[in-house]
Amino acid sequence: MTAVPTATKVGNEGQISATAVALIEADQAPILARPFYPTEGPPSPITASLAHVPEVLEATLPFIGRILGPTAVGARTKEIVIVRTSALMECRYCVETHTAVALDCGLSREEVHALRGEGDVEAVFTDPGELALLAWVDAVALDRGAVSEAIIARATEAMGDPELVELTLVAAATLMLNRYCSALGLPTSAATLSRLAEDGFG
Amino acid sequence: MSAIAEQIASGTISDRLWFYANYHCNLRCTYCLTESAPEVNRREFGRDQIIERAREGKKLGFTALGVTGGEPFTLDYMPELIATLGSELPTIVLSNATVFNSRRLREMEPLADLPVHVQISLDHPEPEDNDEMRGPENFRKVVEAVPKLIERGIGVRIATTLEDPEAADPHEMERLCELHRSLGVPDEDHVVRPIINRGRAQSNDMGVLAGFEQLEPELTLTADGAFYSPFGPTVRGGRLDTDLLVSRTTEPVRAPAEMLARIVEGHPPGSDASLGIR
Repeated sequence: MTAVPTATKVGNEGQISATAVALIEADQAPILARPFYPTEGPPSPITASLAHVPEVLEATLPFIGRILGPTAVGARTKEIVIVRTSALMECRYCVETHTAVALDCGLSREEVHALRGEGDVEAVFTDPGELALLAWVDAVALDRGAVSEAIIARATEAMGDPELVELTLVAAATLMLNRYCSALGLPTSAATLSRLAEDGFG
Repeated sequence: MSAIAEQIASGTISDRLWFYANYHCNLRCTYCLTESAPEVNRREFGRDQIIERAREGKKLGFTALGVTGGEPFTLDYMPELIATLGSELPTIVLSNATVFNSRRLREMEPLADLPVHVQISLDHPEPEDNDEMRGPENFRKVVEAVPKLIERGIGVRIATTLEDPEAADPHEMERLCELHRSLGVPDEDHVVRPIINRGRAQSNDMGVLAGFEQLEPELTLTADGAFYSPFGPTVRGGRLDTDLLVSRTTEPVRAPAEMLARIVEGHPPGSDASLGIR
């Protein structure tokens, strides 16, 4: 299994960079962006940044919501893909945000630590299907060009076509978000950071 | 008839397609929506871009055009642009009328044969009151420019912007109307409207609040994108307001027009525009 670079580990100093764009508060939300803003509390930085281009926001957020949200593939499986991909891509925002989501989806603290590169994935995850998935995710995230036949064989043995398609898309969408959030330096919400500290991920 | 044309024909969306030609201005009015001033970023839309979008707007079903800014006539090509737009559709251009020197007036003469109106700001009948908010010499330049435009056969409207039109002194309003009539502008070409609490007016705590629930849906194209109303692309503290932004896309015009139509269709019942400002 691919080692997650040390620098991706959450909590390292120097991880938080300046936000490259202004985050649009609710009172400045464009009309078509308003349905995507919560009725209470601040919007997510992804929403508040995409609001600069409402016609893109209203296509992007439903797309992300459909892929990362509830579908035939279980939430635990999706969060394994998302946290692992985000850690490999050194995306502070996505790792921190989805650490909380992964815990809420029932992953153990040990499992999440391992996905974040803070533990041995192969020692923590024992299910052959999940190990095949992790190998697949590593290849999708890090390989250039085609995925090797060996990894394809292992993945197709563990997953049917619909599941493999969907989880590949989960990884690909996560890669897109990883680069988006990292490049723009989106800040993790204070509520998430507080929650992570309480759960020992500070 | 396209869906957009149907909405325009039914009055759901204004028949006028607006353009912000630029954001810079030779004046610095205290209630300016866009914080315009001589030194601000021009954010010019571009002559060719405006013409292309106006022609597409005409095909979509828009039946009138409007040009505002900034002060549009700080742009050398503005008379020619307005003539081109006026040959397509009836056009109104908003101006402070302080940049109409003899050369510019000559350049504007072709507008006389076209369905074009220049809407000029004049807020008070006395120079000191008018110039307090609009800047020195504004009154004198306006009362000089209006007859010269009318002499050349160019249509002129006068726009009076007041903190509270309902509370305006009737004697002062009568003096103002006498003044615009004496300049050659009839009552039907005089509009009185409130200051909108956006832009510099908001910073100066002036005017009435106006969100999209209070404003007419009038598609407005700018260098920064398409907005719900010409009162949308306001600037405060140097930052563009986005609450009335429809889309960053302005070409094809169909794209923001359809988005505006969706916004209007989603307008909750009973939330019809209430200010009626034009």
